[in-house]
Amino acid sequence: MKEKLEALLRDGIPRINGAKNEAELQEIKGSLLGKQGSVTLLMKEMSKLPAEERPAAGQLINKAKNELSELIDARREELKLKASEVSADFDWSVPGLPPMSGGLHPIIQMCYDLNDAFRSLGFEIFEATDISSEYYSFDNLNFPPNHPARESMDTYWIEGHDKGEAWEKLCLRPHLTGDSVRYLQSHKPPYRFVYPGRVYRNETTDARHERAFYQYEALIVDKDFTFTAGKVMIQTILSKVFGREVKIRMRSGFFPFVEPGYEIDMECLVCGGKGCSVCKQVGWIEVMPGGTPHPNVLRAAGLDPDEYTGFYVNIGLDRLVMMRYGVDDVRLFNSADLRFLEQFR
Amino acid sequence: MKVSLNWIKDYVKLPDDMDLKKLAYDLTMSTVEVEDAEELAERFNGIVVGVIKEVLPHPNADKLRVCKTDIGGGEIKDIVCGGSNLEVGQKVAVALPGTFVKWHGEGEPVEIKVSKLRGVESYGMICASTEVGLEDLLPLGGDHEIMNLNAFECEAGDPIAKALSLDDVILEIDNKSMTNRPDLWGHYGIAREIATLYDLPLAEVPAFVPEVEGGIDVRVGDAERCRRFIGTKMEGLYVKESPFEMRTRLWRVGQRPINALVDVTNYVMMATGQPTHAYDSDHIVDFISARMAGEDEKLLLLSGEELELSTDDLVICDRTGPVGLAGVMGGAKDSILPETKDVILEVANFESRGIRRTTQRYDVRTEASSRYEKAVDPERCDLAFNMAMTLYKELYPEMKVVAYSDVYPTPIEKTEINVSLDWLERRLGQTFSNEYIENKLSRMGFGVTIDGDNLKVKVPSWRATGDISERADIMEEIARIYGYDNIQATKITTTFDAAINQLDYDLSRKIKEYLAFRCNMQEVFTYPWMTDKTVEAVLGTTENLLKLSTPPSPTEKFVKGSILPNICDAIVKNERFYSEFGIFEEAQIFQDRDYTSTYDEKEKIPYYTKSIGGAFAAVTSDVTALFRKAKGVIEMMPRYTHMEGFTFRRDVKPAWADNTVWLNIYVGEKLVGNMGLLAKKASMGCGIKNLSAVLFELDFYALVPFKSRTNTFAHLPEFPENNYDISLLFDLDTKWEKIYAEILKKAKSEKLIKRAAFVDEYKGKQVPEGKKSVTIRLVIGSDTKTLTSDEIEKVANTVIRCLEHTAGAQMRTK
Repeated sequence: MKEKLEALLRDGIPRINGAKNEAELQEIKGSLLGKQGSVTLLMKEMSKLPAEERPAAGQLINKAKNELSELIDARREELKLKASEVSADFDWSVPGLPPMSGGLHPIIQMCYDLNDAFRSLGFEIFEATDISSEYYSFDNLNFPPNHPARESMDTYWIEGHDKGEAWEKLCLRPHLTGDSVRYLQSHKPPYRFVYPGRVYRNETTDARHERAFYQYEALIVDKDFTFTAGKVMIQTILSKVFGREVKIRMRSGFFPFVEPGYEIDMECLVCGGKGCSVCKQVGWIEVMPGGTPHPNVLRAAGLDPDEYTGFYVNIGLDRLVMMRYGVDDVRLFNSADLRFLEQFR
Repeated sequence: MKVSLNWIKDYVKLPDDMDLKKLAYDLTMSTVEVEDAEELAERFNGIVVGVIKEVLPHPNADKLRVCKTDIGGGEIKDIVCGGSNLEVGQKVAVALPGTFVKWHGEGEPVEIKVSKLRGVESYGMICASTEVGLEDLLPLGGDHEIMNLNAFECEAGDPIAKALSLDDVILEIDNKSMTNRPDLWGHYGIAREIATLYDLPLAEVPAFVPEVEGGIDVRVGDAERCRRFIGTKMEGLYVKESPFEMRTRLWRVGQRPINALVDVTNYVMMATGQPTHAYDSDHIVDFISARMAGEDEKLLLLSGEELELSTDDLVICDRTGPVGLAGVMGGAKDSILPETKDVILEVANFESRGIRRTTQRYDVRTEASSRYEKAVDPERCDLAFNMAMTLYKELYPEMKVVAYSDVYPTPIEKTEINVSLDWLERRLGQTFSNEYIENKLSRMGFGVTIDGDNLKVKVPSWRATGDISERADIMEEIARIYGYDNIQATKITTTFDAAINQLDYDLSRKIKEYLAFRCNMQEVFTYPWMTDKTVEAVLGTTENLLKLSTPPSPTEKFVKGSILPNICDAIVKNERFYSEFGIFEEAQIFQDRDYTSTYDEKEKIPYYTKSIGGAFAAVTSDVTALFRKAKGVIEMMPRYTHMEGFTFRRDVKPAWADNTVWLNIYVGEKLVGNMGLLAKKASMGCGIKNLSAVLFELDFYALVPFKSRTNTFAHLPEFPENNYDISLLFDLDTKWEKIYAEILKKAKSEKLIKRAAFVDEYKGKQVPEGKKSVTIRLVIGSDTKTLTSDEIEKVANTVIRCLEHTAGAQMRTK
């Protein structure tokens, strides 16, 4: 009897502790303590024992029965805590619910990235009006009187304000540079500011040409400022925006409002300078004109060009954003097409 | 502009081992943008000289022949050809299998293969000049003629590029990169830059001294517009083909050779950048004159058309009237004809602005006008004259100059610039030796004297027409030739004392980020003009709208005077793809009123503001919910963006809004914007089909940013607060604003009422007619103890009783 009982415990205890779930445990409980359970059957066998052995045997069996019951309860508690609230066939691969969110225009995103970078260098952010006069758009900028940009073919003039003196002629500003003079006139040197804004040209549009595009101008004016300092600035800013070292080169270029003037090229990020379709096999992409403000521009701002000099760049954001994402049609930026804009959240 | 490197070599000896890629790169970095450098010979890869050994009939075709052709290396191949001028012994151009040619000179290039033509196998093709792009150089004799190379010294198998001496590199220069450099519009100018870059000598163009006594009657009627006119009359000329070398040079740079008399003028222009013109002397009656056109004067063109001239046009005339538009184009009378014998050569200087006005007036641009437009200097006439006359003399040794006049009323003044070397060094951040400066500037033609700190520079005439006028220009010359990229970068030294604090910029950004990231709206850009259709539908009036003189299209003339029309256009565009979305834009708007001066009192800018506008659009039957969504965005905006709060009123309905669903938005007593449901009529007028749209617009400049964050802190409640919802019946026209105001009033005396909020409202069958049920959540609590449920209910009942008295509330009966 005793041996049978011990054998039963030796076998039963590991089974209880090894039960993997509630159902299995219930089955084990049945097989031990149920009506046909092995412990119950042992109880029944007790009647066959001599009367004097029965009390001791009864005690032993009850003890074993209690021990098993306790073990089963303990195991049940343990299984309960371990168990998941969800059935095991839970599909973890179903996509999560996205947070509701809109987005900023990809050009504004780039603009803000640049603003953050320039502000960290102590630049102020300037803003002026989309409508400007010929005076600020051209005259102050040293554009000769016969410059083609002054013609209606290239600039949007405002009806009823398209004749007369330069300050009476109003247009949608064709570039930002003229408005920079506004800043110079209304602030005290030294200057360090950026000027983001949209500009407008009367052009035929195609995948590479737009009538409205976003420029980003940065200007430093100070005494005895070497223009190569600007190179450091541009490199710093572009590397910050693109998140990696960006190689640039400066080559000769002409713009009426700078002297010297240069084109700043950036190594093509698509091919790493090896040449590809994006950079037309050149390895470099023209990203911005730059230069030292022309003495006449400084004079227009009331500064003595012998005393002051500076550094200027004008970044075309549309092109920079196109390069950032590989966008191949500039017109998408003004399309208000959500299928396009949603990609940049 | 196309530049032939061989031509350049006439003026500057390039080393044989010159790395062409580097040359293109160096020019790009220092002077002009070289877009392409093409090995000309590569264009003719696979095309070789063949010598026809036998011409046999084609068994299956009358018009075709089978030519046994020597293609070099001892190979004789059968080539089927339909050429009408095939002869034994003739040298021809053979396109070998694998070469691309333009079949019959038309369409896209096709690959030549070994193939059967009407049953006979042909190894390649004997080409006509049109088939290999040489028609301008070797014009087609007749319709079916193939290119005859007998005139060239060559052998079978020679690449055709070698046979025709086409070993050259053609640089393609971006014209935009040299609009400020009239001196670069010819090979000589480019050669001068190269000579400067590599310290090579620049060849001089020999002077031509006309040995003649008689003058030619040259009259200059307007010395401002025609600053110089050299007229030269030559006899003993005749029309003939110019030498192959001259023709091929013109052809390489994109000019069509015509005849020697004309080719010289084009050649000189391509070499010096100075246009010249040859007139048949028989056509010029008595004198040649450059004067302004008179009233009602006309110019007969080659086409037979008559051009009505403007009194602003400078014309070339003789006694009988205009023969050409000076510097732009000739008329019918000034052409060189096959029988031309005596020629008058014009080498003149015309003022750039006048030329530009004339080209625009008649919408013609020629090689000559595009050069004059860049402001050519009058001194360059000498260079062109010397070169042209030398060439005529070479081509027509028997030629005689019979008359010559140089009318140059006001020789240009020489510009002198003084530059401090110390200043130069400080600005460039780098020291240059005196020798370096002197060497480079002299090579570019500047006269240089250095005396202590002073660099005195005499500007050559070809750089003095606006290009170089002050010391910054001299700095640029030195820096660009040295290479901007080679100048050592130095650090920025400017320092600023104060931190940048720009509340306006920050507010604009916060609002946009709020709309985008908290309110699920997408920022869009639209143009600064509006379409007539949406202006009519949304604004209903064009009053105060500015117009563009030359709009992008006739129906897009109005300048953005409100942000909403374009927002509605954007809704229309997106309706095809989305049934629910939110969009916004920030842009400046302008109106034809209240002109103000901000920067210069002479400049008056029309009324403008920065507007932030947007829309929530959805296909929905519940526009109230859509309106509440938009209203929530506006209501919460001040809190999240830290500015003065909004209040809503209903004073003036916006034109575009539904009659019932709209609000005016105020900051204090100032109207700052509107919101509302787009009225059905306006919506249809815009072309919106199924979407309902709630629009808003805010005048950004009227918003008042706080200087810092404005959240406030309240102690956490010590004792529990309890939510208690009550549902009451009100008259349908009782507004929540009224109900809420009464509860707040009550809360002033009953301190246990902490807050109250709108939960929802119900209108319909479950409530009596004329009534609505409003559910209100009261938050009830005490600062000193935990309230019992009886106490809470008692407070709620006081609110109910209050609303019964003040707002006509009724308990809902069961």
